[in-house]
Amino acid sequence: METAKQIIESYDGRKLRVMEVCGTHTHEIFRLGIRRILPPQIELISGPGCPVCVTPAGYIDEAVMLALEHGAVICTFGDLIRVPGSEMSLAGARSKGAAVKTVYSPLDAVDFARENPDKQVVFLAVGFETTVPAACLAVKKAAAEGLANFSILGANKTMPNAYKALKGSADAFLYPGHVNAITGTAVCEDLVKLGVSGVVAGFTADEILTALAVIIRLSASAPGEPFFRNCYPRVVRPEGSPAALKLMDTVMEPCDAEWRGLGVIPMSGLKLRPAFAAYDARLKFSLPPVAGRSNPACRCGEVLQGKCKSTDCKLFGTACTPLHPVGACMVSNEGACSAYYQYGDILNG
Amino acid sequence: MDNNMNANDFVTLAHGAGGRQTAELIDRVFKAHFSNPDFTGDDAAVLPVDAGKIAFTTDGFIVSPFEFPGGNIGKLSICGTVNDLACMGAKPLYLACAFVIEEGFPLAKLEEIAAAMKKTADEAGVRIVAGDTKVAGKGQVDHVFITTTGVGQLTEGVRTSGAFARPGDAVIVTGDVGRHGCTILLARNEFEIDADVTSDCAPLWGTVKSMIDASRDIHVIRDATRGGVGTVLYEIADQSKVGIRLNSADVPVAPEVRGVCGMLGLEPLYLACEGRLVVFAPKSEAPAILEALRKGPYSASAAIIGEVVADHPGKVVMTTEIGAQSLLPQPGGELLPRIC
Ligand code: SF4
Repeated sequence: METAKQIIESYDGRKLRVMEVCGTHTHEIFRLGIRRILPPQIELISGPGCPVCVTPAGYIDEAVMLALEHGAVICTFGDLIRVPGSEMSLAGARSKGAAVKTVYSPLDAVDFARENPDKQVVFLAVGFETTVPAACLAVKKAAAEGLANFSILGANKTMPNAYKALKGSADAFLYPGHVNAITGTAVCEDLVKLGVSGVVAGFTADEILTALAVIIRLSASAPGEPFFRNCYPRVVRPEGSPAALKLMDTVMEPCDAEWRGLGVIPMSGLKLRPAFAAYDARLKFSLPPVAGRSNPACRCGEVLQGKCKSTDCKLFGTACTPLHPVGACMVSNEGACSAYYQYGDILNG
Repeated sequence: MDNNMNANDFVTLAHGAGGRQTAELIDRVFKAHFSNPDFTGDDAAVLPVDAGKIAFTTDGFIVSPFEFPGGNIGKLSICGTVNDLACMGAKPLYLACAFVIEEGFPLAKLEEIAAAMKKTADEAGVRIVAGDTKVAGKGQVDHVFITTTGVGQLTEGVRTSGAFARPGDAVIVTGDVGRHGCTILLARNEFEIDADVTSDCAPLWGTVKSMIDASRDIHVIRDATRGGVGTVLYEIADQSKVGIRLNSADVPVAPEVRGVCGMLGLEPLYLACEGRLVVFAPKSEAPAILEALRKGPYSASAAIIGEVVADHPGKVVMTTEIGAQSLLPQPGGELLPRIC
């Protein structure tokens, strides 16, 4: 029997563009060198699946404002600290005296708020369905305890409408297994009806190769016919995680969301329901609307849609490096530009 | 403080003031544990030196937490300097230790640290001959910092340097990688992950001696401390102007460490080791070196993980588990767990 790797290496059909929409996939695909075994007809595009990469500059501006003008303690996942805002990153704000604390879970921020009742604590809630439940739990917990000094600055996002918006950029999506573990597979079945193809993939070398091989086989056997397969049944159940979905639905509701480089995608974000408005930092501190500005030379948006490669950006590797990121895609280990920089060209890179 | 607790059980600023209490601290903790014929009560130790060359080095230790599965800062502070000497092919002879202790640090813990230092020094065959103690105000240091300085006798006929790697060399690691870094990450309790990982912290002069007894033709010996094996490989590729090829399947990693790295998205090659050496030697010498290593207590899982090539100087290229080539990322990033 042909192995997944052989199926991929021997593919000689028509051109096939596959978009992975998960930062962990991007990182693993680069780390494993999967691009180097692909035939030229297969193109892998690193889509907008890393929460750091799609965080707009305006959101960082809001966090900086909360820290510097309102004296709030910002609790955040470490990666966000270096994402450039319009004027400065949170790291820059820190050097101007802002209190910015790295946490590994939103619940740590709640603990911190409880222990420091004299401080206003704001958690930066970014991330997809995988991290949303923990943020919801944190808000529920703060509400149950009546913590008046805790709030979140929300920028959580959901994938389904992003797939629709990106439909033209790829022939098939590699769906992120851990997101589908929460949401289940019905969303993907629905996408088939809209002509969007994809398979759910796990994260080991074998799981990623298998998912790619399945995409190849299905595209070749019925060209143009949209498809869906769950190639990660070990973890992803069709119904997802009902408990997590219920929690999310209790605390948050859909809203339009801005994606860095892609603009506003309707109903692709989540915000706190009115019952939890007291924990919404934007309302609590009456933040004005912010129109963020990114460096106009940064091509993250095009990179995320496969319209250009990281190396096509003039700043790549010169003005923009993981130590001095200009765009968000260079910040996180899982960002497309960062992965390209770290694992990129063996001989010339 | 608990009212029943004796204030004498904690280090106070008076212990560092140089008076009677300083003398008491030295007697109770340091003299009691370190005593040997060369340990000095004077301003400096006076030591006999054989003909030949000495190696001389110093290192500061500020690990947090100061105790962890597999050791504590005391053991670490001896291993670190002993291993730096050993990497030059030098037999460690004498050490001096300087302590900066935070006010309020429990004396019992200080004794545990001193006992671990003594035990490790004995094992390494090195004598602690001089020391210094300072006490810093609460919050000025994190519990205890230790600096050790060491002198060793160079072995004749052995010359190692990070600039001596040559195409055709085998790259050897003396055991599984990343254990110390992984242990410390877990001991900090930030990730709420439980795994049974202990530090590899160990004094390695015996390990080096067994290798140089097996072959004098060894080009590079480095201990893979901060930054791990990956950082050492990039340093050597740079200093020697060579390329390095690794086979990821050959890199020994304990299953628990691999598990933790998988969860946090970390590369084991970039986690610190405190008892592992990276060795470059001609391929012809590698079997004898490996055989000697595998008999040793700290190097039973030694393995050849790659080779030196003339291509792609300055770069480390990995053959990954799917048989494709990929660059090992350059060191330098912070250790950040992934968030999605
Ligand atoms: S290299 Fe930097 S500036 Fe260019 S697209 Fe990537 S992140 Fe943006």
